[in-house]
Amino acid sequence: MTNLEASLNKSAAIPKWLPFCFLIFSAVGFADATYLTVKHFLGTPIPCAILQGCEQVTNSQFATVFGVPVALLGSFYYLTILILSVVYLDTRQFLALKLATSLTIFGFLASLWFVFLQVFIIKAICLYCMISATTSTLLFISGLIFWTKKQPPSPVS
Amino acid sequence: MESTDQNLSKKERRELRRQEKLSQRDAVANKKRTSSVLLWSFIIIFVGGTIALMIGLMSKNSPTQFVAGAIKAASDNDQIKGAPLPEAKIVLIEYSDFQCPACRSYYPMVKKLSQEFPNLSVVYRHFPLPQHTNARPAAQAAEAAGQQGKFWEMHDVLFDNQQNWAESRTSQETFLGYALAFGLDIEKFKTDYDSSETKTKIEKDYQSGGRDINGTPTFFVNDKKIQNPQNYDEFRSLLEQIGRNP
Repeated sequence: MTNLEASLNKSAAIPKWLPFCFLIFSAVGFADATYLTVKHFLGTPIPCAILQGCEQVTNSQFATVFGVPVALLGSFYYLTILILSVVYLDTRQFLALKLATSLTIFGFLASLWFVFLQVFIIKAICLYCMISATTSTLLFISGLIFWTKKQPPSPVS
Repeated sequence: MESTDQNLSKKERRELRRQEKLSQRDAVANKKRTSSVLLWSFIIIFVGGTIALMIGLMSKNSPTQFVAGAIKAASDNDQIKGAPLPEAKIVLIEYSDFQCPACRSYYPMVKKLSQEFPNLSVVYRHFPLPQHTNARPAAQAAEAAGQQGKFWEMHDVLFDNQQNWAESRTSQETFLGYALAFGLDIEKFKTDYDSSETKTKIEKDYQSGGRDINGTPTFFVNDKKIQNPQNYDEFRSLLEQIGRNP
């Protein structure tokens, strides 16, 4: 009972807009990653352009991990965050938000890696990949806000 | 002492209040249930809608169209497969790069087309993109094999094994291996591979593309540029149309 009260108190400290941030950013990320996934499986072969761009990135050997397109992993990642934030909004289960927040760390690290690959290794920028990097960074920032708000102010001696 | 009447009414009132509370709680629970059903249906519609929309966008079949741009007609200096040029009703010129994954995806389609249309001439022109470091060496290997009448055999093998040499630092050795497998005269192959004639031919092809080509593959049907078809059926129906009314 005291545990429940404690967590209720904690969740009360979270700004009301924070779950909506999770919801919106993950929805945008999901739409973006799904676009790239469907393109990967169904799209016309993307021509190799003189001016390097998206195809350079999405055709590269880094676009798949053990045969699974990175875009598909991204879709699942955003879908998980989306569902967790809806679970929180629906049931106010604190755990859902906590889980989503922990996941954003992985999303952020993966994005850092892919931006690094684009800029320094492939030397081409894919707009859709950068949108995804942006949404996962925003999710990570929302996660940081969550962690700072959720801790009760430490007593100052 | 209070009268039973009063007692009863008190009881009744308490009961009434309890019922009110209960129905209030019910209403709150109902409201909550409705909003959570709404929330979840909204999310399911969003997720399903997004997937359906993307699939719809990608699989939209639009007829292949001619776009602005024309190219130098094919001649005997080109690498030609299928019907000989004077007899061909349809001439398909492809500007391609052996290291480009998209060219690799189109290669089986073009091969199938040339089998299906007896009156079709397929012309291959080199367009090795600067970012593909092995594209020019691969073009040289194909041309060198061409000197011994095996251009298209090398062309097929290069595309079939693209991922084996695309990022390799020893691509030249790989190409030599293919030449050996075809039973080519290896000394002649090596000389032709490095000859200025071969390099000039590739450069001429590249230059002939001019401003009409900004990526590979780019296709020209009877010297007119087309939008890349989305799939084999689109490609075939375009050629059928041309074949019917030249």
